[in-house]
Amino acid sequence: MESNTIAVRRLTSGTIAFLLIAVFVALFFAYERHGAKLHAPRIHVAIRNLPYYAFCSFMRMLVAYGFSLIFALVYGLLAGTSRAYERVLIPAIDIAQSVPVVGFFPAAIYFFVSLAHGSRIGVEMAAVFLIFTSQAWNMALGVYEAVRTLPTDSVEALEVFGASGWLKLRRLLIPACVPKLVYNSILSWVSGWYYIIACEIITAGPAHYQLPGLGSYLMTAADKGRTGEIIAGLLALLAIIILMDAIIWQPLSLWAERFRYEFAASTEPIRSLGMLDALGSIGPTVLRLIQTVSRPIARTVRGAFVSVRPFNPAEHPALRRIARWLRLAAQAAIFFFIAWGLIDGMVALARTLARPWPAEVRQIPLATLASFGRIILAYAISLAWTVPCAIAASESQRFARRLAPIAEIVGSMPATALFPLIVLFVIKLTGGMNLASILLIITGMQWYLLFNLLAGVSQVPADLKEAARSFGLSRAATWRKLTLPAVLPSLITGSITAWGGGWNALILSEYFVYRDKTYQVFGLGALLDDATYRTDNSLMILLTLLSMVLVVIVLNRVVWRRLYDLAADRYRIEY
Amino acid sequence: MALLELRNVSKSFAQATGALRVLENISFTVEQGEFVAVVGPSGCGKSTMLRIINGLMPPTSGQVLYRGRQIDGINLDCAMVFQSFALMPWLTVKANVELGLEARGVAPAEREKRASVYIDKVGLDGFEEAYPRELSGGMKQRVGLARALAVEPQLLLMDEPFSALDALTAITLREELLDIWQSADMPVHNIIIVTHMIEEAVELADRILVLASGPGRLVADLKVDLPRPRDRRKEAFNALTDKVFSLIEERA
Repeated sequence: MESNTIAVRRLTSGTIAFLLIAVFVALFFAYERHGAKLHAPRIHVAIRNLPYYAFCSFMRMLVAYGFSLIFALVYGLLAGTSRAYERVLIPAIDIAQSVPVVGFFPAAIYFFVSLAHGSRIGVEMAAVFLIFTSQAWNMALGVYEAVRTLPTDSVEALEVFGASGWLKLRRLLIPACVPKLVYNSILSWVSGWYYIIACEIITAGPAHYQLPGLGSYLMTAADKGRTGEIIAGLLALLAIIILMDAIIWQPLSLWAERFRYEFAASTEPIRSLGMLDALGSIGPTVLRLIQTVSRPIARTVRGAFVSVRPFNPAEHPALRRIARWLRLAAQAAIFFFIAWGLIDGMVALARTLARPWPAEVRQIPLATLASFGRIILAYAISLAWTVPCAIAASESQRFARRLAPIAEIVGSMPATALFPLIVLFVIKLTGGMNLASILLIITGMQWYLLFNLLAGVSQVPADLKEAARSFGLSRAATWRKLTLPAVLPSLITGSITAWGGGWNALILSEYFVYRDKTYQVFGLGALLDDATYRTDNSLMILLTLLSMVLVVIVLNRVVWRRLYDLAADRYRIEY
Repeated sequence: MALLELRNVSKSFAQATGALRVLENISFTVEQGEFVAVVGPSGCGKSTMLRIINGLMPPTSGQVLYRGRQIDGINLDCAMVFQSFALMPWLTVKANVELGLEARGVAPAEREKRASVYIDKVGLDGFEEAYPRELSGGMKQRVGLARALAVEPQLLLMDEPFSALDALTAITLREELLDIWQSADMPVHNIIIVTHMIEEAVELADRILVLASGPGRLVADLKVDLPRPRDRRKEAFNALTDKVFSLIEERA
């Protein structure tokens, strides 16, 4: 009987989730009626403007990342420390992750532009929001995982000393999140670059939005056929990525090692960056300079409060009551806000669905199948090269150490920047978009697989590796008995993320406008883009989007969740 | 001919801050039929030395001679029992024990037979299809022991095998280890055990090698003449323990 109730609960939660998404999507479209025309600044394709455009894109990324970080910390800590919140917040993120970010481009534009009453701020907000959605979820999940997997010993050790909430936060919870936060931040930036290139130029029906930035620069240069400028733009992007890697990510990763919970002393020498070592010391030096100023200030401030008696909330029942009312008021406000949004969205949903359904709707099932086939093929090809890479990394430390930074940098280069070139090149070769589309989907999938596999490989316990070698296991036997089973959980996590990236790449790749010519293949993404760019039919957009979300959710529940449970059950490494 | 000989073995690890010297000029011989214990404080390189003997890592300088010949790569005449058990979590007890045999290309039927014998010997008869996470710490180490014994090694290497177990389980397993070593039909005649517990070394071994730390050096090589079974409450036992302890202390 119990399995029945669990199944029923899963089914209902899935349906509810789906309905919620439908409602929120419709909510975005409710604002379509405010769709405003925007006079976009012209993009001047000249290399001397490049630094400015690069700076614009970078700032957008930074702002979005800032929001993602705050969101991740608040959301992850809430979900990780409170069972009640966990039950709501984690399924919500699961769903959010399943929704292809790219599908929301037009909706987000409508929403934010109308919110800002047609000014450019609205478009900027939309772009920042889109990058945020590509960054925030995995960071929040990282924080959540870090908090949930804290050894209970450590938590108890702090509680025994009567540590207050703030102290626990500062000394235990936040430090515990650091490794996962750093790791996921790197991934988030990679993701961000991918989407920012695509979202700086949006054509939604008759409206055409452009933001000054690297993405629009590259697209405009491609449109005009200025290869020199394209290469300059790509080089600028590459330079930013490499510099960020050397100045920020590498030193940060080394520093984050300190926060790792490990029980065996590591004999592996710490990665040396070679000639980029000098760059790596920029971050710590700047930090030290800042600290020489900030530390004395902090000390004086703290000194001023030392004489004040520590505040004990238990002694002030009146304040407690006020705090409780405030909390209730805040919860009520949030509840009403969400309820209003839901109702508004449901009304908009009903209204949109009541319109006459366009003829293209009949194509949706077959289109879904075609797109699905493309993703499976792309997935298989991605696996075909990432798994051997991971196995090679597990065998040779040197290979792993050389591979990681290269993969980070190459993987950070957004394929979206190269889309126009790839599409044209392949079309000249084969005359059709199918191959180009599959190639583009692969670019959106393979890095997630590779990074997760590499992470899994690096976490294979040293003593198991020693045991395998000590007993004389051959290379093939080591792969079969040790490496592959050990990385199975990472492979599955990576696959889940890769398929998410795959759907996004699908939307971007099945329909392509270049120099006023439209290239497309038969598929769900093409239907969506066609509805967005050509016919501006919001009902069609809604239906294709919902079909895609439905497929993703079904796949998640039926395939990935089961596989993950299996992996967590049999293949988990624990002591 | 000595079974095992170490000549001026030294080991350094390359670190970001410079080379870390872990072992310094270790030289000793192990004859056939000896039960040797290596004791020392943590950080004296005893586990590293064990891995060098097994062939898991090469010495930075010096030689390791097994039966008079320098070892090259893993010495398949040895088998190691690990402190953390090192069992594959996704393999059953039987599959774990058969691991070494499978690596040596033994046929499935023969593998199964031998594995059963040793699973029985360590007292886990009936647990062949269990997974490691269903077993207690003591049982897991028994699996580790069975796995090592199954390949019928000439030299059994044990890296702090009982340190991760509670005291009561450790007592039981020590007794079982001695039984196995002393029984005639067991193939293993040589054991090198690394431990930080001096009483354990005195209880089990014929010979105690004392290592000091910073970097690891051999400071003493004591013979243990006490008759088995050894009683911790006896005067001679405690005298020897004190002696070893003072040897470690004075070099600390």
